[in-house]
Amino acid sequence: MIEEPLSDRTFEQYLAGELRVLNAHLARRRKRLSDLLAEERPFVDLHDDTAHLFDKEELARLASLLDETDRQALLLPMMIEVGGGEGEAALLCTGGVEEKAVSRVLGMDLACRGGRLLLYRRQLSALRLALKTATQYVYSLGE
Amino acid sequence: MPRLVKVRPTKIELIKLRRRLTLAKRIQKIVKDRLSILTMEFLHIAREIVASKQQTIDGASAGYAALALAAGYHGWIGLGKEFASSARGVAVEVGSRNVAGVRVPSFQSAQNGKEVLAYNLTDTSAYLDQAAAEWGKTLQAIIKLAELQRGLDLMGIEINRTKRIVNALEYMVIPELKATIKFLAMKFEERDREEKSRLKRVKVLLQRA
Repeated sequence: MIEEPLSDRTFEQYLAGELRVLNAHLARRRKRLSDLLAEERPFVDLHDDTAHLFDKEELARLASLLDETDRQALLLPMMIEVGGGEGEAALLCTGGVEEKAVSRVLGMDLACRGGRLLLYRRQLSALRLALKTATQYVYSLGE
Repeated sequence: MPRLVKVRPTKIELIKLRRRLTLAKRIQKIVKDRLSILTMEFLHIAREIVASKQQTIDGASAGYAALALAAGYHGWIGLGKEFASSARGVAVEVGSRNVAGVRVPSFQSAQNGKEVLAYNLTDTSAYLDQAAAEWGKTLQAIIKLAELQRGLDLMGIEINRTKRIVNALEYMVIPELKATIKFLAMKFEERDREEKSRLKRVKVLLQRA
């Protein structure tokens, strides 16, 4: 049985749309933890023209784990890459501060390699429970 | 048997189909990853809802018990008078946060935990203060529960949608592309064989002539 070409075209359009929407929720510009702590309603603007609100209690908890220099260096939301090929997921590190924050939140020593901190399922679950609004997923097609 | 995609039987189309198959497989992988993340987040919210519901029920029980004591002291008519003059709305700050690509609402009480008692403090007892404090806590729990419940609904809708995409890719799109690629490859092989036999026939005819 031969399928009509219309559905094939529709499929291609749909796939292109699906890829576009997967990462539409990423922040336009990430903010420093120290700046967010000073805001009345801490939020970041997203690429889909919406805002992502941070939980104040969560930010205060995260700030209590870091010193002043790290608070100024930590950019939020932290990005968790999914589908990058290695392990379950990986936290994208721009410096050592993400590594320090996540290690303290999870209570275990984790090392950042090649700009990525590998997270296994249980670690990912624990991290998301602790930092619901301070982390975001990035979907990647990988290699 | 998977259906075939209607394409012209040319090598260019075969290359295009192979590219499309690679893309479909990559998207299938990423959508499956997303489904697993969404399921994990759904379970987190479901567990939080169980805890939040319990908190609401406990808070309401304590609130009713405290209210019963206050009613015993002041009488229902006295309480009614106090409440009639102190009625006020509940201010809730509404925003949204993004969980794995799903926009879920975020509700926060505008009072920020600092309750202002609107009834006359001189005419009323500590029983009523206790009841007000218990219901204030319960109200916070209800606001939290509303946020979680809506988040769970939205997450469920997104999981269903993603599941449909995964199934469509796994059981329709990828098998169709594979079947079409196989069909075209066989067609080209058959064409090659025909071409060879035709050339052989021509060679024999030329040798005879």
